[in-house]
Order: sequence, then C-alpha cells, then structure tokens
Amino acid sequence: MTGNTSPRADDGSTAAENADAALTTRPDGGSVTASGNRRWSRSGRAFSTLLGRPIVAGVVAVVTAFLTVPVLVAFVSSFAESGSGVLPTGFVTFDHWRKVLGFGEYGVRKNAIPGLTYSLLIATGGMVLNVVIGVPVAYALARYDFYARDWVNTFAILPLVPGLILGIAFVQTYPQHGRSALGLLAGYCLLKSPYMVLTVQSSFQSMDLVRLEESARSLGASWPRTFLTVVVPHAKRGIIAGAIITWTLAAAEFNFTHMVASGSPDPFAMFLYDNIANNALYLQSAAAVSVYFLIVAGAIISLQLLGKRGFSTAHQ
Amino acid sequence: MSVRKSATASVRRIATLASTTARPTTERERERRRIVVLCLPFFALAVVAGFVPLAMLVRISLAEDTIWMEGWSLEAWETLATTPAYRRVAWNTLWFVGLATGVSVALGVAVAHALEKYDLPAERIVVAAVSFPIALPGIVVAYLITVLLGRQGLVTNAIAVATGQGAHGLASATAITGLFLGYVYSLLPRATMVLRGTYAEVNEQAEEAARALGASRWETFYHVTLPEIRPGIAAAAILTFRSGLAIFGTVLILQSHQVVTLQIHNEISVGSYAPDVAAAIGLVYVVFIVAFTFVGLRFVDDDAVEV
Repeated sequence: MTGNTSPRADDGSTAAENADAALTTRPDGGSVTASGNRRWSRSGRAFSTLLGRPIVAGVVAVVTAFLTVPVLVAFVSSFAESGSGVLPTGFVTFDHWRKVLGFGEYGVRKNAIPGLTYSLLIATGGMVLNVVIGVPVAYALARYDFYARDWVNTFAILPLVPGLILGIAFVQTYPQHGRSALGLLAGYCLLKSPYMVLTVQSSFQSMDLVRLEESARSLGASWPRTFLTVVVPHAKRGIIAGAIITWTLAAAEFNFTHMVASGSPDPFAMFLYDNIANNALYLQSAAAVSVYFLIVAGAIISLQLLGKRGFSTAHQ
Repeated sequence: MSVRKSATASVRRIATLASTTARPTTERERERRRIVVLCLPFFALAVVAGFVPLAMLVRISLAEDTIWMEGWSLEAWETLATTPAYRRVAWNTLWFVGLATGVSVALGVAVAHALEKYDLPAERIVVAAVSFPIALPGIVVAYLITVLLGRQGLVTNAIAVATGQGAHGLASATAITGLFLGYVYSLLPRATMVLRGTYAEVNEQAEEAARALGASRWETFYHVTLPEIRPGIAAAAILTFRSGLAIFGTVLILQSHQVVTLQIHNEISVGSYAPDVAAAIGLVYVVFIVAFTFVGLRFVDDDAVEV
C-alpha cells in the first residue's frame, strides 16, 4: 500500500453513500470529492483485479502442460507403431518395449534387464549407506547447537560438487576401484545425501527431541539405546521418504555414471543414454524413457502414501 | 617467541579437546562426543569420496605429465587464463543459466502463488506435474524436448501441418531455444518447490487488509506479498542458479551451446585429451559454485533452503 489512499470512509455505509454523490459532506465534517471516490472504488475495476487471476491461471496451465505433455506423449507413443505425423499412430504394439528390454531377436540392442538390476542394486546400496550416514548427521543438526553447525549444515544439505566433476576426480583418484560398483555406490551416496539429510532433518524438526531424549534417558536407557530405539523409529516416515527419494534419483544418475561407469554390466543411466543419443530410434527411446517414468511414478505414489507432496524434502 | 608460545598453547588446547571428547567426564564433554560420533560417518564418506578426489583434481591441474602424475607445471592454468575461448565459455554459461534461472523463478512465483491462493480444479495434478521433473536426469529432459520440438516432435509437426512447411526446417530442439526450454524444464520445478515453502508462511491477514483498504490485486501482490516472499525468491534463485550450472546431460544430448560442463567433457574426450585443463576448469567451476552458494545464502534465511 502506498500513502495515497487518503479519502477513507469511516465505515462501509458511508463509503457506499459517498460513491453516489459527486460531493458529499461526511458526518465528521470533511468532504469527499468525486475523484477521491473513483480512487476508492478503482480496485474493483483495476486491470490486475479483473484479469490477474485468469492470466496467472493461464500461466500455470501452460507450465503444467509444458511439464506433463512430453512425458505423456513419450509414454503413449512407446506403444505406437509409427511416430511420424503430429500424433503417433497404430496402437497397440509392445514391439518397442520388447526391443528395449532385450526380448525378441532384434540383436541391435542389448538386454537391458542386467543393467537395470545392477543399477537398482547399486541404488539400493547407496540408499542404505545414505540412511547410515544421513540420519545421524541430520539428528546432530536438528538436536544440538555446536561450533561450526552452520558450516556442517551447508555441507550436508547442499550438493556442492557437481556429479560430472566428482566423476572425473573419482576415476583419477581411485584408478583401481573407481570404476567398480563400490565406486558408483559411494558416489551416488555422496551426491544424493542432501536429499536424505534434509528430509530426515525436517522430520526431526517437527518433534520435541529434547523431551523425547530426556524421557528415555530418565527411564534408564543409555544414549546409544535412546538414539537407536526411540529417536530413529520416531523419524521413520521421514527416513522412508528420504530413502525413496535418494533411491529414485540414484537409479538414473547420469552425470557421475557417464564419467565412472565401465560398461559391464551397463548401468541404467547408460542404457538410457544409448537409447536417447540415437535419434533414429525415436519410439524405442520412448519405451526406454518410459521404463524410468514407471519407476518414478511408483516412487511418487509411495511418497504420497507417506503423506509427502511428491519429490519434496519439506515436511508437511 | 610469542607466536610459538601461542601455537603451542593452541595445539595443547586442541589435544585436550580431543582427549576429553574421546574420554569424557562431564555431561558437556559427553554431548560433544555424541555430536562427533553422529557427524563422523558423513564426514568419513565426504572425505573419501569428496575431498580427496577434489585434492587430486588440484594435483592433476598442476601435473606436468598427466598420465603418471609426475612433475609440476602451471601450463594448464596458463592455457586457461590466456585462451579467449575459455572466457567465452564462462560468459556463455553465466548468461544462459542466469536467464534460465530468471525465467524459472518468475514462472515458479506464478505457480506457487496460484497453488497457494487459488482454488485450482486439479491441484494435486499440478503439484505432481511440478514435482515430477525433479526426478528426471538431464538426458531424459533432453529427450522430452525432442518429443516436443524435434523432427518428429509434437509441436514441430503441428506447426508443419498448420503452415504447410516441412518439419525438418522447423525442428528447434537442437537449437539454442530448445536447450533453453530444457534448462527451464529442469529448473522450474526446483524453483517452485522452494517458493511453495515460502508461500506457506505468507501472512494472509496483511493481504486481506490491503485488499479491504482498496488495493488492487497487483498492488497487494507488489506491496504486501512480494516483500514477504523476497527471501524465498532469493533462495530459489541461488539454488536454481547452482543447479543450472551443474546441468550436463541435457546439453550433452542437445549440444547447441558451449557451456562449462560440456567444455569439461570435451577436454577429456578422445581427440582433445587434456585432463589438466579439464581439472583446472573443474576447480574454477567448483570454487565458483561453492563461493556463490555460501555468499548467496548468507543473505537469506536458512529455512528456505531445499534441494
């Protein structure tokens, strides 16, 4: 509000009366001019009041369409026979899915199942490691106030080193093990740990940790026992949500994998890359990408069952 | 003399701190031990998988022989400082990511505003649609852009049919506009998520008061809502900008703009193999991201931070 809303009515009724007359004397002796009245009622006719809402709603509609339409088109056209023309035609065929997943005698594409299994296993390993390293640090940050807490916080919740750089450095530092499953696992864990820490932290922040801990301690539990059997189970939902998020993100992590992966078996991200980089197989890429969509959709549904609003680390 | 004395004193103090932390006698020392134990696993991993490789990157950038990591030379840094092409890459990255951040945050404000204030018909779907792309890696985003704007793309073919032109000439997925949309696709959901958190805390009474006192919707937004969400906008811009700098998969597929990640990738590709230069660029890039994030976040509230 700026300062120029001077002609103010004392109550609603005078405002309504004033609006009718060009120059009216107010009960308190002041007078209101016609131009003042116009200012007073202008908000009802202001451009933003009339059109603001439709414009913003239109922007939201366009944004939603921009974000969802390609996903839906890719998914639908993975079942189509032909992708040329405005809309894909010739439904329903499972050829592309079969080719992509390596069933059938096409020979061009490798069997994707080993790569997918391999990636999902590594993602699971990274997820378990993330629980082990993420939950304690999230508890320390939520419960205690200590020297350099802000620094630890920033390190723990911000993915400061991009995956590409980490991948390059990783391979050079650990030439023997860098390209192994262990290397991928450690990298995924470090790259995705902020999601775990943030999710668990926001779950801890909604609890009265001091009281919880003191009750358990006064009933005779040692501190490790308190932490493991009282505090951690209380944050169960946050931990599960964080686990789902880190797992899904690690399953298709590309930037790090591209630098580190050695090829046998090919991680899922490399399988996606091989399919996408090859433009000629447009519909086959659609099927490959759709495999990952299904994984993400499953993750989002599980997250919503846990009461989270999709891929967000915030506590609701 | 006094320097040495204070140095001994501080060494002794650290030693005492370490020994009391390891073998605590008071409750305060026990608490300190707990904090150390809780933070230890994370930092063990961060050192092994993060700091040691980064230190190795410094060594690579200074190595004379990059295959055996022998000798010292500043050649890579000299190349980096004297070649104008690298300055152009830096400029390319900054303006491109900056513009994508601006657009994403502006659209994010609109989406967060609508989700918080309006009764949208399919709010759950909008929320799901906006959060879904956070899970998509850059290569998938690149593919989705070709689904819209590639040669066989939906929009391309629709325009081709409407105007009677050939689809080949209209495809813009591998033009810079297609890449820009790819960046917005990745960044918009992140910006929106941060802003939704901020919007949840906006004081609605102040807005209602402004409206009741005769402010139009725009005036209310500009003078009441905007000052309240400004920290959230700053946080969203910082986090979006640094996510944008880290994008690699999208640009690797679409290849239409030489940004820093693509340059690093090219430096270690067969044909132009220069790992020392790649390491030097990588270090500048990481230092910039870390400095930018730390400096930026000093000015905003920590609670607004989400990834």
